[in-house]
Amino acid sequence: MSGIVHFALQRRLVIVVLTLIVIIAGYFSYRQLPVDAFPDVSPNLVQIFTTTEGLAPEEVEKYVTYPVEAAMAGLPGVEKVRSVSNFGLSVVNIYFKDGLDIYFCRQVVSERLAEAREQIPEGFGDPGMGPISTGMGLVLFYYLDDTTGTHSLEDLRSIQDWVIKFNLQTVPGVTEVLGIGGFEKQYQVDVDPANLQRYNLTLRDVIARIEANNLNVGAQFIEKNAEELIVRSVGLATGINDLNAIVVKTVDGRPVYLRDIATVKIGGAIRRGVQTRNGEGEVVSGMVIKLFGSNASTVIQRVEDKIEEINGMLPEGVNIVPYYQQKDIVESSVKTVLSALIQGIILVALVLLVFMGGFRPSIVVAASIPFSVMFAIIAMKQLGMSANLMSLGGLAIAIGMMVDGTIVMVENIDRTLRESDPSEPRIHVVRRASQEVLRPIAFAIAIIIVVFLPLFTLQGVEGKTFKPLAYTVALAMLGSLVFAVLQAPVFGHLLMRRPKGGKGGKEPLLIRGLTKLYLPVVKLFVRFRALAVGLAVLLMLIGALVFPKLGSEFTPKLREGTIVVRLTMAPSIALTESKRVTLIAERRLMKIPEVREVVTRIGRGEVGAHSDPVNSAEMYVLLKPKAEWREPGNQEAMENIIRDELGYLPGVLSNLTQPIEMTVAELLEGVRAELAIKLFGDDLDVLKQTADRIAAVVQDVPGAADVQVAQMGGVPQLLIQPDREAITRYGLNLSDVQEVIQAAVGGATSGAIFEGIRQYDIVVRYMPEARNNIAAIKEILVQAPNGMRVPLAQLASIEEIVGPRQITRENNQRFITIQCNVTDRDIGSFVEEAQAKIDAEIDLPVGYLTTWGGEYRLQQEANKRLAVVVPITLGIIALLLYTSFNSIMNTLLILLNIPLALVGGVIALWVSGQNMSVPASVGFIALFGIAVENGMVLVTYLNQLLRDGVPVDEASVKGATLRLRPVLMTAITTALGLIPLLLATGTGSEVQRPLATVVIGGLITSTILTLLVIPSLYKWFKIEDVKA
Amino acid sequence: MKIIYLMMGLACGVGGVTAEEQGHKEHEEEAIQLSPEVLKEFGIELATAAGGTLTMETVLPGEIQINQDRLAHVVPRYPGVVLEVKKNIGDPVKKGEVVAILEGNDSLTPYPLKAMVDGVVTDKHITLGESLQTDRSIYSIADLSDVWVNVTLYQKDLARVRKGQTVTVSGGEHLEPAQGVIDYVSPTLDERTRTGYARVVLPNPDGTWKPGMFITAEVQIGTEAAQVVIPLTALQTLEEGISVFVETDQGFKPRHVKLGHANRTQVEVLSGLKAGERYVSKGAFTLKAELDRGEMNSGHSH
Repeated sequence: MSGIVHFALQRRLVIVVLTLIVIIAGYFSYRQLPVDAFPDVSPNLVQIFTTTEGLAPEEVEKYVTYPVEAAMAGLPGVEKVRSVSNFGLSVVNIYFKDGLDIYFCRQVVSERLAEAREQIPEGFGDPGMGPISTGMGLVLFYYLDDTTGTHSLEDLRSIQDWVIKFNLQTVPGVTEVLGIGGFEKQYQVDVDPANLQRYNLTLRDVIARIEANNLNVGAQFIEKNAEELIVRSVGLATGINDLNAIVVKTVDGRPVYLRDIATVKIGGAIRRGVQTRNGEGEVVSGMVIKLFGSNASTVIQRVEDKIEEINGMLPEGVNIVPYYQQKDIVESSVKTVLSALIQGIILVALVLLVFMGGFRPSIVVAASIPFSVMFAIIAMKQLGMSANLMSLGGLAIAIGMMVDGTIVMVENIDRTLRESDPSEPRIHVVRRASQEVLRPIAFAIAIIIVVFLPLFTLQGVEGKTFKPLAYTVALAMLGSLVFAVLQAPVFGHLLMRRPKGGKGGKEPLLIRGLTKLYLPVVKLFVRFRALAVGLAVLLMLIGALVFPKLGSEFTPKLREGTIVVRLTMAPSIALTESKRVTLIAERRLMKIPEVREVVTRIGRGEVGAHSDPVNSAEMYVLLKPKAEWREPGNQEAMENIIRDELGYLPGVLSNLTQPIEMTVAELLEGVRAELAIKLFGDDLDVLKQTADRIAAVVQDVPGAADVQVAQMGGVPQLLIQPDREAITRYGLNLSDVQEVIQAAVGGATSGAIFEGIRQYDIVVRYMPEARNNIAAIKEILVQAPNGMRVPLAQLASIEEIVGPRQITRENNQRFITIQCNVTDRDIGSFVEEAQAKIDAEIDLPVGYLTTWGGEYRLQQEANKRLAVVVPITLGIIALLLYTSFNSIMNTLLILLNIPLALVGGVIALWVSGQNMSVPASVGFIALFGIAVENGMVLVTYLNQLLRDGVPVDEASVKGATLRLRPVLMTAITTALGLIPLLLATGTGSEVQRPLATVVIGGLITSTILTLLVIPSLYKWFKIEDVKA
Repeated sequence: MKIIYLMMGLACGVGGVTAEEQGHKEHEEEAIQLSPEVLKEFGIELATAAGGTLTMETVLPGEIQINQDRLAHVVPRYPGVVLEVKKNIGDPVKKGEVVAILEGNDSLTPYPLKAMVDGVVTDKHITLGESLQTDRSIYSIADLSDVWVNVTLYQKDLARVRKGQTVTVSGGEHLEPAQGVIDYVSPTLDERTRTGYARVVLPNPDGTWKPGMFITAEVQIGTEAAQVVIPLTALQTLEEGISVFVETDQGFKPRHVKLGHANRTQVEVLSGLKAGERYVSKGAFTLKAELDRGEMNSGHSH
């Protein structure tokens, strides 16, 4: 191993050039690194959307969802298939194993989708895959501002669909642009049923006539004077006048025109979503979805440039106004970590200067930071990781640790140089000094890397969130190891000089001062070992007392900087009503002086991003610059103001959320309760009844709280059940009746009008008065083959019922969820008891089964994994220590540092009022490593002194005093490197703060203990093979 | 050892659950309180329950026909050749007015054909010089001062439509609707179409209603005097059935109501709401939604 140093010192130029290459390559890698706000925690899934206009959930499930699900069975790598059948929309989510290539997944899905298409009845919709994107793909939302007020919502929507969308979709990295709001223009033929009767026509005739009179054809060519003339016949209707002039019937040579039986007008298509603004009314809006894996910041930049360009093409007074841009959080979260990174570097450099007392050694140590960072960035690029809050955060955390190896190395070189014989060549001294500390450094850094092992086993959201951090820490530490081993000796040789005073040069003033203070204390501790034991026990007791007082939370909420108010209204609400209620809410919010604009999306627009029903509204609250707030920059206060002003909205649930948080939650579709019992079965009514009974049983189990059965019903339906007997009596077919219902009430598309390349549907339907109420629907006349007309009420029973709002399925089965939380008892025993009670009291119908899930299962799985991984990690650390020291006692002594370090972390959390959370756990994990590292540095030297024949007590004191500088330096650099994260207030800082708190707190206790307890207890744990 | 602690810590960190607010499912007899401002903001309107008369209607298709009681045909008395055609379709004629002159085949003397009623020529089958037999009507003269409205009765309507009921006839485009009374209901159904008809004699002094027109007839199939009549907009379907929100001292409470007769806008309340009580007549959906609010956060739909 020591050969490496020799090797490096002999090829100094190569090493210098190599260093430069790494730094330059790192810089270019950074430029190319995809930049995201946060690690993408979206599951690896392919979504299949099918719109089936006008179909109720039951039909959607039967005709669309089921065939799609069935086709997807047995795909490689599928974890589960979950589906939601809504009114008019089927969404099938196919969750793949993490790590599978998204394009592979889409390909296998797409192959099977062809199969599914064949199974779906004609006219029931065409399934298509969602955008190649993730929950973080919604990078920019905009609305169209019409300052002139002269453009209708149809016009604006046409501009959106045919100008803006087309242009934005050409931007590289944009996979989809989806429109919402306004009206999709269509040509509506509103037929008066009385006129049909008058002229003895049926709706079917009208539809056929329109289709037959709206055509362009080509007829090859003719030759004329050696030229070819292409023959084409143009018969496409170009507008309302052409449609009006279509002859639907001729009686005795007298034509009946379409205008005689119907009103032809331009209108809006049926919609399941609108976009409103500022409580004033509707706007037309769009959202840009970025391609999976593309660089958010560059895509957004390109989109912005394109928007600028498109704005120039739009009619006078119409402008694209972005109202949500992911760029803002990308920029601010990257800014948060970058500034923490830079501040960290400066702080660390300052510490070095003070402690090293020299410019040159400081430079050598400081140089390890850019090298390690760049090393990590090159590796990130190669591994396909993105730069985000977490991955860059990992670098910020590691700053203080990156220098540790080099500090020990340089400190040793510095000391050795000072103490060496002036006649010895400098290169020899450097080599000797380097080789001395090489092993402990390598082991210490290896331990820090190993310590992050448990993080790699995290699964799901936490895994995706914290793995990038673990990766970058590990990578940066690896870089720092390389630097310490290869570069540090070389740069040390190139830059460091013997002190001018010759042999025995003095250490910097500060160190001498500290040593003077430290010496008596350490002497005291070495003499009275009980003092050390007492101190350690006392601290551990404090830790044990404080720990239970810590609250616990999952992960602190990331502040995205954009506030979204989500309104949930009654499931049966009509779009017009939800729009009315939303406008009321918007007007309330507009009263807040800090609010600049409120833009709300209700329901869903073009299919692909959202599948929200019309009872759900997402209000984007756009605020004035933070400085103008009544409490500048205080987002929490702002949120409270918003809550207050929104106040009580009858019939509406409102909660504050954030754009990315919301989208990701939607994709995860998890149950946010500790326990979820899923009851699988076929019959919706039986499911509901059984679920209610299960809920009643669970409710009685001690510890149960918030027991709830998911609501499936609540949406009224007008159920038209044809009476087969009546129908046959009139010589009709069932389909004759249903076609009339479909076309008259729902409308039927019969061709399209082309305006240039823009294509607008022609929709034939009864006029509103003849279909928009139950009485009118009962009067719809169906024509029998013999020409008589029969009202619908005579052919079918028509009744109002309450139907399901949606049907959810998992792995091909319908299910209902019963969720509950558990208080004051252990969940495991609760589940056992509840399960036993359910088995005893409820006789599940044949084909019905229950499964237990919820956060509790995730938690159990995580606990199980950690129960294995944490001891293994400790084992590896112990093994590494043992390999390094070849002494069990030494190993134990160093491991003793760990609990002492943890105490500091616990106290720091408690004092700062933070909770135990995943990032705090990550902090504790980091502490493991740092504490061990500190111990190693000291124990190594103590062993060396012992081997040199110094008596153990004297060695303890002398070693501790001499190692004061490196121990303090590594501790202080690590702590100071984290201070910027601790104090940062920018986007994403809330996630890093617990981590920084824990490490800094732990460092304080662990450093004190390293310096006092280890020398004191060393005698009991000294290496065995040396007789003192 | 402290390692255990750490593991516990990790476990808590990884598995900790943020307790979410979870609404309870109790909406028994909970009154909803809304301030006047909120009522106004949400467009919720109140009314006092009161009695009234409900007019029930059914809408049926129909056709204008010539009043067959005021139709006269002109038929040649003797076979002969047409010497003169005096009237054309649409010409008004008086009773006794000569409409054509024929020359009898046997007598070879001209004789006049006269109208038997006042009216308008609605049909004509006569040409100059034509030889006519005595078995064919050559003129139809109808008195259009009133017309028949034949309203198609489907099987489902037969029981409800009776002689004497008032009918509002509308002919669509630019025609003022007119009112008449059913004075005849067909005793049998047409075997082919399985429909019957009800007839209204409609005065037609201006000739607005032209025979052959399709019309829509709104038949008032009954009027009911009711103790309490409320608009349909007040009704909401709740779990326990159709309900109305009533204002009480504690606030608004849903009350299950039993309904009687109804028309397109109003309904009779048989029980559940007494005259004089204040109820929500418009915007009751907001209250229904508020009642179900506790259930909305479960089984979340997105």
